[in-house]
Amino acid sequence: MSGKICSGNLIESLQRIQEKQGFLPRDSLIKLSRDTRSPLSRIFGVATFYHQFRLEPPGKVTIAVCMGTACHLRGNAENYEFLRRFLGIRPDRSTSDDGLFSLEKARCFGCCSLAPVVKIGDMLVGKATPRELQKAISRVRESILREEAARGAGGGKT
Amino acid sequence: MMRQEYWTLMDPCCDYCLHSRDNPCAKYVVCRMRGPFCHRSVECREKRQRRIREVLYGSQGVRINIGASSCGLAAGAERVLEAVKDGLRSMGVEAEVSAVGCLGLCFMEPFIEIQSEDGPSPIYGYVSPENVGDILARYFEEGSVDGAFAIRKRTGRFKDEDKVPLLDELDVWRKQVKWVSRNCGVINPESIEEYIVTGGYEGLSRALTMRPEEVIEEIRLAGLRGRGGAGFPTWLKWKICREQPSEEKYVICNADEGDPGAFMNRLLAESDPHRVLEGIIIAGYAIGASQGVIFVRAEKPLMAARLEKAVEDARRWGLLGENILGSGFSFDVRVMRSAGAFVCGEETAMIAAIEGRRAMPRQRPPYPASKGLWDKPTVVNNVETLAHVATIMAHGWREFAKYGTERSKGTKMFCVTGGVKRTGAFEVPIGTTIRTLVYDIAGGPHEGRRIKAVQIGGPSGGCLPERLFDLPIDYESLQEAGAIMGSGGLVVIDDTNCMVDVARYFTSFTLAESCGKCIPCRVGTKALYDRLSAIVEGMSSQEDLQLLEEIGIMMKEAALCALGGTAPNPILSSLRYFRDEYEAHILEKRCPAKVCRKLVSYAINRELCVKCGLCAKSCPVGAIAKTADGYFMIDESRCIRCGTCVITCPRGAVEKR
Amino acid sequence: MKVRINGLEVEAREGERILDVANRLGIRIPTLCYLKNVYEGASCRICVVELGNGKLIPACAYEVSDGLTISTDTPRIRESRRVTLELLLSAHRITCQNCPKKGECTLVELCSEYGVEGIPVCAECPLHGEDCFIARSEICLGPITASGCKAECIRDGRTCEGCRGPVTRRDVIEWARGIYIEHGISLEAVLEKLKTYCASSREFDLIREYLVVKEVVEG
Repeated sequence: MSGKICSGNLIESLQRIQEKQGFLPRDSLIKLSRDTRSPLSRIFGVATFYHQFRLEPPGKVTIAVCMGTACHLRGNAENYEFLRRFLGIRPDRSTSDDGLFSLEKARCFGCCSLAPVVKIGDMLVGKATPRELQKAISRVRESILREEAARGAGGGKT
Repeated sequence: MMRQEYWTLMDPCCDYCLHSRDNPCAKYVVCRMRGPFCHRSVECREKRQRRIREVLYGSQGVRINIGASSCGLAAGAERVLEAVKDGLRSMGVEAEVSAVGCLGLCFMEPFIEIQSEDGPSPIYGYVSPENVGDILARYFEEGSVDGAFAIRKRTGRFKDEDKVPLLDELDVWRKQVKWVSRNCGVINPESIEEYIVTGGYEGLSRALTMRPEEVIEEIRLAGLRGRGGAGFPTWLKWKICREQPSEEKYVICNADEGDPGAFMNRLLAESDPHRVLEGIIIAGYAIGASQGVIFVRAEKPLMAARLEKAVEDARRWGLLGENILGSGFSFDVRVMRSAGAFVCGEETAMIAAIEGRRAMPRQRPPYPASKGLWDKPTVVNNVETLAHVATIMAHGWREFAKYGTERSKGTKMFCVTGGVKRTGAFEVPIGTTIRTLVYDIAGGPHEGRRIKAVQIGGPSGGCLPERLFDLPIDYESLQEAGAIMGSGGLVVIDDTNCMVDVARYFTSFTLAESCGKCIPCRVGTKALYDRLSAIVEGMSSQEDLQLLEEIGIMMKEAALCALGGTAPNPILSSLRYFRDEYEAHILEKRCPAKVCRKLVSYAINRELCVKCGLCAKSCPVGAIAKTADGYFMIDESRCIRCGTCVITCPRGAVEKR
Repeated sequence: MKVRINGLEVEAREGERILDVANRLGIRIPTLCYLKNVYEGASCRICVVELGNGKLIPACAYEVSDGLTISTDTPRIRESRRVTLELLLSAHRITCQNCPKKGECTLVELCSEYGVEGIPVCAECPLHGEDCFIARSEICLGPITASGCKAECIRDGRTCEGCRGPVTRRDVIEWARGIYIEHGISLEAVLEKLKTYCASSREFDLIREYLVVKEVVEG
């Protein structure tokens, strides 16, 4: 029924790859190019156009700072700068050196009335201030490290 | 087909009911509510009426609604829902607990509403898992509605009902017209049954008994104009598309709401997805399409999920698919998730994205109505427009045309955010003044603040100063004043915000989102941004203002798509109304609102300082040092104005000057 | 069907673009990105023309319809094209010496036609296949002098004297500065030579600021 609209939509293929692997590895794109018989340049063109696609592996937790109007007016630009400093992310990168956090700017989440909003993993932090973010991130970091330690003690390194 | 364990209104009442996907009944929808029509049976009738009551108030006559759309969830609705269930369990009260959409009163999220068949129905705001137990105990054990924000109806059964205002008497509600958002925050969006009980799909049933031309005529009489921004008459778009000779046609629902500060489409589609879907099916019928696509923004996954669920349910009950309600009209819809690009909101760019290409707009004409998706005639309508279509078909054009102005009929949803007391999404008749919306409904500025402007229409819109707040909001008068209706985002700017900084923010947005196809937008936004950056950093001259205007006007005229053509609006409009702020930055190197960092200086207020030294520790350049008397001082010559000390100070003793 | 271009009523065919009609009539509409059947995306917006209703639209992509009124050269159009070219240049490194087109390009032509300042004589020089004086460590003002003279002096075997006045675009001057330094030419000497024609002008101060003062600050 869905016919032509459904068949081989490049964007949806890329979304599936990213969902499985967390990012778009070069090899997968080459394979997709072969399977769909469309030039790699075209696939790469689409992959770089949309915000959703990333070509580098992400950190364990993604922190997205909303850059919508309401959030900007209520201070998310400062929150972003704070997070960059706090996580120690270098100017040309988006992931912290320990590979735990990647920081990105997001477009409006549509929760403008809770502005400013920062999303840590799946958790939305409304009315965010640097102090609260600091607390929330420390909690998340601790739980990741604890998990890793537990796994490390259980079955060695993966 | 999967059968549910209990009987729902959608199921056949007895063996006489023959409706199925393969054998659709034209009266299926109306029959649910007022039937059965095909056979006489008191029992079946009562069975249905009983179920309707159950859907409305739960099996025990009490139902508790919790607002659980994205905004509610962000505010913690999920934990509140669990707490409500726990609280009821511990009190031994049986009541239906239902996750509903959003009332639009976002400022008091998360909210709960207790709906009772024979008692008062209070709405509580700012609910938390901690205080919800008290609320329930007061209501069910003490018979008190103390602490409620408002109640829907008075019954006289509770002693203190009079102390809580009626919802309809509150300014925030009274001045609204709940037309298209009538179900938002009232029904469970994931239940097709609740939509049917509130009169859902009756519009579609009615449309299918009419000829497509008559449907288009009805929309023409209603005077519905596109709610996505430009205000093009919906009927005309449909008529042009209908008249195209092509066999294949498409309907696209534009759910790629990207304007920062606008979320009415998300709210509608999350709270009442079937209404949107019904509108799409009606549009498909009117233009003679066989397929529809809902293109949903990547950042709004819940909206996509709820629309997908609605499509699935509608398909299951034969409201979508082959031979809908026995009319011979076949139509199917699929939901596609965008991969995130603001420009996708432009219709030709959206079509490119659906075709799997880079979302770059193309020159119009030809318009999509004659050459759209896969070069076939395509109607692209926005979520709110389509929801209006369904509502108009259900209630008739006269009801709709009652509201609004001569040239723009009906109601429009606006999202008011920024410096007001009550942020949220409000539906008002077109032609309502900005003042009513900002002061009466949204409650005016925060204590001690003064509103100086509103930005209407997001990055494509313009700002309007306070003195123009008596302007009625409609497509034409806003355009004349230099703003646009856009999708209806209204950001309130108070005296703590700098107009130049706001303009620079919007330009940074369009700069980042420009697709790069045409020069005016690709290079123009960069040039504008560079000039504005120079202004906020105090590195500019008077000539920059002229340059901003020159580039802005050229972009307006020569850019390829609406995104580029409207990108300079925030700058041009703020230059028109707030030139003095620009001049203060340029001539006096001063930011009147004390926002632009390079133009403010910091100092420590000794009366507030507690000598903790955190500021000195956090200063990245070591510009803060202890003085002989133990207080701290900022060395202006070394300060890089990063503002870290302001954030760090626990007492707010670091002041901007 | 009939359309009216610049007041001239002409016959046009269904599906024809404004640019096609104009070309047939010999009316010149400048284009940059347009390449028939290869790229018709209407990106550069240089070919904008004005319709009867006052809208500016790209001639390369707009299909004619009966009764359409088109003007191809009005002050508004010229202004729009000029600002577009200005923007284009601001994002374009004007290093024609290293460009395979050697300055023989529509962009340079259009810029001089629309009076867009910012292109130095150095862009014109290679058009005529002249050797670069600066490469021979001679003091030539080509990199900081506004073009439009068709590099007459250089074709005559002399260095550029800067008689058309300096280019004041910061990026161009910074580029020029790099070239002078690379070939070991003293910036003071360059300024000295520039004084001949514009010692008292505002532009001179600007250039001095970008060329020399900056060096002092950095040095």
